[in-house]
Formats: sequence, C-alpha cells, structure tokens
Amino acid sequence: MIRSLVVGMGNPLLRDDAVGIRLAAFLRGQLGDAPGLSYVEECSAGGLEILDLVAGHDRLVLLDSIKAGGPPGSWYRFDGGALRETMNLRNVHDTNLATALELGRRLGLPIPVEGEIHVFAVEVEDNLSFDERMTDALEERFPEYASEICAEVASLLGAASPREDP
Amino acid sequence: MSRRISIDPITRLEGHGKIEIFLDDRGAVEDCYFQIPELRGFERFVVGRPIEELPRIVTRICGVCPASHHLAGAKAVDGCFGDEVPPLAHKLREMYYNAHYIHSHIAHFYALAAPDFILGPESDPAVRNILGVVAKVGLEIGGKVIQARAQAQEIQQIIGGRTTHLVWCLPGGVSKGLKPEELERVKPMVGELYDFAQFSLKLFREAVLGNPGYVELILNGPYTLQVQNMGLVDENNAPNFYHGKVRVVDCEGKEVCKYEPREYADHVAEHVEPWTYLKFPYLKKRGWKGFVEGVDSSLYTATPLARLNVADRMATPRAQEAFEEMFATLGKKPCQALLAAHWARLVEMVQNAETLQRYCADPEITGDAYRVVPRQITGEGVGIVEAMRGTLTHHYTCDAKGICTSANLIVGTTNNNAPIHMVTRKAAATLIKPGVEPTEGILNMIEMAFRAFDPCYSCATHSLPGQMPLEVVVHRNGVPDREFRRRC
Repeated sequence: MIRSLVVGMGNPLLRDDAVGIRLAAFLRGQLGDAPGLSYVEECSAGGLEILDLVAGHDRLVLLDSIKAGGPPGSWYRFDGGALRETMNLRNVHDTNLATALELGRRLGLPIPVEGEIHVFAVEVEDNLSFDERMTDALEERFPEYASEICAEVASLLGAASPREDP
Repeated sequence: MSRRISIDPITRLEGHGKIEIFLDDRGAVEDCYFQIPELRGFERFVVGRPIEELPRIVTRICGVCPASHHLAGAKAVDGCFGDEVPPLAHKLREMYYNAHYIHSHIAHFYALAAPDFILGPESDPAVRNILGVVAKVGLEIGGKVIQARAQAQEIQQIIGGRTTHLVWCLPGGVSKGLKPEELERVKPMVGELYDFAQFSLKLFREAVLGNPGYVELILNGPYTLQVQNMGLVDENNAPNFYHGKVRVVDCEGKEVCKYEPREYADHVAEHVEPWTYLKFPYLKKRGWKGFVEGVDSSLYTATPLARLNVADRMATPRAQEAFEEMFATLGKKPCQALLAAHWARLVEMVQNAETLQRYCADPEITGDAYRVVPRQITGEGVGIVEAMRGTLTHHYTCDAKGICTSANLIVGTTNNNAPIHMVTRKAAATLIKPGVEPTEGILNMIEMAFRAFDPCYSCATHSLPGQMPLEVVVHRNGVPDREFRRRC
C-alpha cells in the first residue's frame, strides 16, 4: 500500500498565506479518507521539522502559496526536484525544504523520492498582512483553482506505485 | 563614480532582510545599511481580541520561535489577570522551554553556523550547508543531530501537546500537566540530550578551537562590537530563559541596570530611522546617541553571548564548567567578539539539558495543581522571556471585560538591530578592498557578521519566492550593470 500524505502549508492569519490550508480542507472534503492516505490540514513546519512529518510516507502532496509573478489564483505544479531552486522563508532559520528532505534521505530515513514530492502552489497577492481573510481576488477564484487542483491530486492518488528517481 | 552592492535576500535567514553596500569612486565601502523592507502589523491586529487569546495568536508571528512568543504572551496575560499562577505551571512552562531551546540551538549550530566553520567561510557555496557538514563529519554524526533535534521536539510535544503553535498556556497556568508515564518517556531522552550537548561542545573544541585561523577570526576578525549586554538572570545572576530580571552589563563588565519586566519602559526606548521599518532599541536613561560604540554607548546586544556576559555564573554545574572554559579561552569577560555567540549557544544547551534533568527529578512535576482560575482582571501585564535570539518583551493592556486595548512587542532580534547594522558595516568595510571585486566568499563573511545573531525577521511568510535566495547587484550611477547569483 502506498502511504500518501497531503499537507496544507501556511499561516491562517497571514491573508493569502492561508490558501494551502484552505485547499487541504477542501481536498479532504472532496476526496475523503482512504487506506494509506492521511492529511495534515494545517502545517507551518519547515526545515528540519518537516522530516518528522514526512518520514514514513511514500508520496507527499504539498499545497502551498507562491509568488512567481503570475496573476493571483493561477497555480503551478512541480515535483521535489524543482524545490532545489527555491527557498523556504519561514524556516530558513535551519535549512530549506529540499535540503532537509535530502538530508533525511542520506541519513536513511524513509523519505519520498523527489519524483513523489508533488507541490501545488497557488499564486497569491498579499501574504504579508495579518488578516484572517484572503484577498478578494484569491477568494473569488477559489472554487475554480481548488477544483482543478483537486482533480489533479485525485488522479495522482489513484496512480500506481511511487516512481523512482533516475 | 559610486556604486551599490545589494545582498537581498540574505541567505539562511528567516524573513526578509537586505544589505545595501555603497562603494566610493575607489571601490572602498562608503556606507552600509541593513534594512528590513517589510512592515509588520501584528500589534494592531490583536487589539479588540479577548486578551486570553493573545498567547495563541502571537505564536503565528513566527514559525521559528513560536514557544517564545507563546510564553512571553502567557506571562503578559498572567499580569492582566493578577499573576495568579501556581508554581507547578511555571515549572512545566520552564521545562518545556528548555527543550525548545535545545531544539533551536541544535538547528542554528548545525545548519547555520557549522557550515562556515566545518567547511570554511570561503568554501564552495554549493556544499556550504548542512549536507556538506554531514558529508564532512560523517553520517553517524548527522544521525545524532537529527535524533537529538527530534527528541527535543518530542519532549515539547509530551509536555505541551504541540511543538509549534502552542495552545497550552492559559490565564492561571497551563491546560495540561505531566503524567507519571509521560515523565518516564521524557527521562531517557533528557539523558541523551545532555550527552549530545556535551558532544557538541567537544565537536566545537575540535573543529573550531582546533583551527588557529578560526580562533583568530573569532577573536580578532571584524566581528567585535563594543556595546553593552542584556539578558535575563535569576536571583544569583545566572541565566534564566523563562523567569527573572533583565540585567544590563556594559562592555567593561559593570552593571548598568537590573529591572523587573514591568519596568521595561523605564529602561528601553526605540529609535526610528527612515530607511528601515525595524526600530532601534536603546538604553533609555542614556538617550539615543547614534550608531556608536564604547562603554558610554546606549546600544546593547541581547544574544546568547550577551546572556553569558551579563551572568555571574551558570545555573547548573556542568554548564558552569563550560562557561569557565569559554571565557578563559576567550581571554576576557565580558567578551565582545560576536562570533563567540555560537559557542555560547552550546554552553546554554548544557544548562538547558541539566535543567531538564533537574525537573525530571522533581517529585512535584507530575502533580495536578497546574492551573487556577483567575479571579480578577487587573488590565495590564508585561511578559519577558529570553527568546533564543534575544530578550523578548510582550506588553498588553485590556479593558475591564478582558478585551485587548494595546500590545507592544520588542522581539529578540529588534534589540540587536543597531549592533547588526554596525557590525555588518564594519565587516564590509574591512573585507571589501578598494579596487578588488568582492568574491562570493567575502560576501559570505559579511553575512557571517549578522548570522552570529541568529536574527529572525520573519514573523512572516514561507511562500516559495521562485527565485534564487541571494542576489548581489552592482549598481553604477544607479543602474544595475552586473549581477551575481548563488544558492543558499
């Protein structure tokens, strides 16, 4: 049985930063529970802390926000390999996500291979203001991008055994 | 023709900081600014909320030291409710916090400091990270690091129910105690953490003190700053991270002041500069004197090194031995060589582990008198703890219904804002030579100046920026004409 973990990343008080958490709750409502599938709907861990969360799973689905210059509500999908070029500002205090996961692998911890780290990142407008509401732009488009991401994750979770990195 | 070098964002730092280095016609450093270009608004956000909610909200300021904010907030709320907190609640909070310290210090030392010392400050940036450290010292040690960090986390989970974003502290105490069977799970981990703290000190002796070049860099590099020192101390002037009075000792070792948390506004004020959102705290009774060094300066550091500088002794025996060894090697106390903060963290870690051992042996620790229901609202409270990266102050007021009417936070790194700015400028001026293009290694050595503070500007976001973590842009006549990029 493939052990899959769906994680909603973010801070619910930091406006659009909450989008990953909102998505995780939406996916859980839509996809429900299944053998081998678990959810962490609200996660603020990063760096080395993420190892405790991820270890023991074959597949990781990360739902997060991103600022890459696109219109708010657009979204991107990439795998663990792409994370090597990114930076985790929340917890760069210790190390970035890609480095933490690679460290875990080298130390022999059961960490998913890069090809089984699936990141779904929604372009956000404001993730610096303290507010419990997302911006209007992101809120209005939520049904659209949440449904699209949900369909992709559903397809992903129905996939066969985890791929091995080349 | 002058030009400008920007280091933005700074690697291996949480939050967003930016260094701007201005060079004159000869290529020498004319000036240097350490900027925080983001405005936070947390103190406004909490006004109007029930005051007892604040310790749960303020943990969201930051994912790096949420326990520090939770506990400082809890102590401020305690004050708003008349400080009716049973002794056991304080013991449990302090126990939790010492485990949190160990977790944080491990992360800082091995992920942020060790790459510069184990691999060298001018080593290939592609390997100058924890993976490079593990490759050099071996997988066995890497495994020890991960295990110790996880144990410190698990102890927090057992005591407080969560490792991040605590919801544990309540007005009048904490929401859960420590069961005897939970204590039995904690005890062996505490023993291993003590061993790991001593192991880390041994590694520091061998890898850092065993290299004369590193000792020279620590003692005589461009990383010293003659400003005053601040830290929380107990009744014996030993460091305490959760309780006590704030003590300030000048750079020649003389006590400047020692005050109760509620008196903080009499001793600390904040200066504002137009080029950064972050304020510059200073010793109020001395007045703002600018970015100047010296025994009369009104500036101070609040770091692990500052905490040991203000202490007469450590609170536990093995930490005392490490404390004596450190200052004997450094040659003086107080020591203003800021890179020694990395060493000070390891000394603190020994005290953290010994404190956990003491509480594990405390027959009262599994008791059930961990909360009382407060009977009054007094309307004002100040909570001060030592966050890992500096003295953390939360000051709240509330109305008669317990609704927050104001909040003032002086976070750990803010205390160090002026010293960080000054030592970064000093490092840049010393390391960048006129007419010589600064190498990546030189830029990293400038970063080392502020990394020693373990600064945290985050309180912010973790979103993927989709860009390289470090950009160095050289401006000529205001126009970028050269760009360097590297990974963290």
